[in-house]
Order: sequence, then structure tokens, then C-alpha cells
Amino acid sequence: MAEKEMDIIDERGLDVGEDVIGDRPRRYQRRRPRQVVPEYVDWKDVDYLKQFIPERGKIMPRRISGISAKDQRRIAKAIKRARSVALLPFVAD
Amino acid sequence: MANRTYEVMYIVNPETADETVAKLNEAVGKLIEKEGGSIVRMDDIGRRPMAYQIEKKREGYYVLFEIEGSGQEIAELERRMRVNDMIMRYITVRVDEERKAADKRRAKREARTAKRTKFRPAAAEASAEA
Repeated sequence: MAEKEMDIIDERGLDVGEDVIGDRPRRYQRRRPRQVVPEYVDWKDVDYLKQFIPERGKIMPRRISGISAKDQRRIAKAIKRARSVALLPFVAD
Repeated sequence: MANRTYEVMYIVNPETADETVAKLNEAVGKLIEKEGGSIVRMDDIGRRPMAYQIEKKREGYYVLFEIEGSGQEIAELERRMRVNDMIMRYITVRVDEERKAADKRRAKREARTAKRTKFRPAAAEASAEA
């Protein structure tokens, strides 16, 4: 079971983007790695923020990153700030 | 009202000579002080590649200022940056409130771990290590 769970996550992995995975129903395993987001998310800390942007350059959705809604908002804001000064890409290809 | 902290980052055209950039930075510092702000920190990050092209350039000269003041100097600084051809991009972020929120969050987290240690010393140690 545990293995299967991992499988699914990997498949929908970071860069698959939209959740069209064949005809499988959109059912998401709840994966909550309880990742600790630092108290202060620095918008200049590119290396930290990079972990929330898959290859395409999009912001990782919460269902994959598994962080809390509050933390996700903080991360997203920091990423957007970093984008505006070309520290991070809007679209990467 | 008076004390706000801002981070101002700007990207200078990488073709600008280093001395000119230094002069520009100095002018920025002077302007802030003239307008009643104070510089907490100044970081000359230097040339680094940009994540996307700006004005057909792939790299930029990054400079970061941390400024404390009323907000007036920011208004003036932004006005000047907008008309300055050397500055390709700038961003101002007000950080004092976010830092305050971060401190609060930190205090809360610490309080929680302290509480945990009190009841379950072993478990708290394990999570501290992780």
C-alpha cells in the first residue's frame, strides 16, 4: 500500500502539471509530510523557494507540496516577489 | 507611523561600468538620508543571471538596500528609479510587519515545543533532532 501511494505521487509528480492522468478519477492521497516552513519566508532566498517550483516554473499546488494553506500563501507571495525581479522565472522551458 | 522597514532591490543594466554603479548606489544612499530615512544594510550583490530576459539582457547587476524610515523616502526613491535608464527593474517590499508576524509565529512555536517537552520529553527531543 505504501508503495502504491508513493507511485501515485510520483506519477502526478512535480512537473506533470494538470491533473489529467488518463481516466483515473481525481482522487488524491492525502500526503502531509508536515513540512516545517520557516517563520519568515524570505523572498530573496531563491534556493529555498526553488523547492516549490517544478521545472515548468509554476508554483507547486498545495496538494502536492502538502503545506498548510497559510504557509502556501506566504510561499506563493514570496515566489511572486522574486519573479518580479527575475530571481525566479514566470515560465521556464 | 514613523518607523517602517523596507527592502529595496534594483537591477542595474549590466553594461554599466562598475564605477558608475558604485556612484549610483552612493547617490541612492544620499537621497535616502536626505529624505529622512536611514540605511540599515546595503548589499551589493553584483552581476548574476536573471531568470528571464529584461531589455534583451540575460544578466543584471543586483543591489539591495534595507531602509528604515517613514515611507516618504521610498516614494522619492521610486520616482527617481522610474526615470533612471540604468535601472532596469526595482522592487520595494515592506518587511517590518512580516518580521513581526514571523516573531510571533516563532514565539508560538517555541511555546508549543516547551509545552510538549514538559509532557513528553522523549518525543520532543526526537522531533528537535529531525
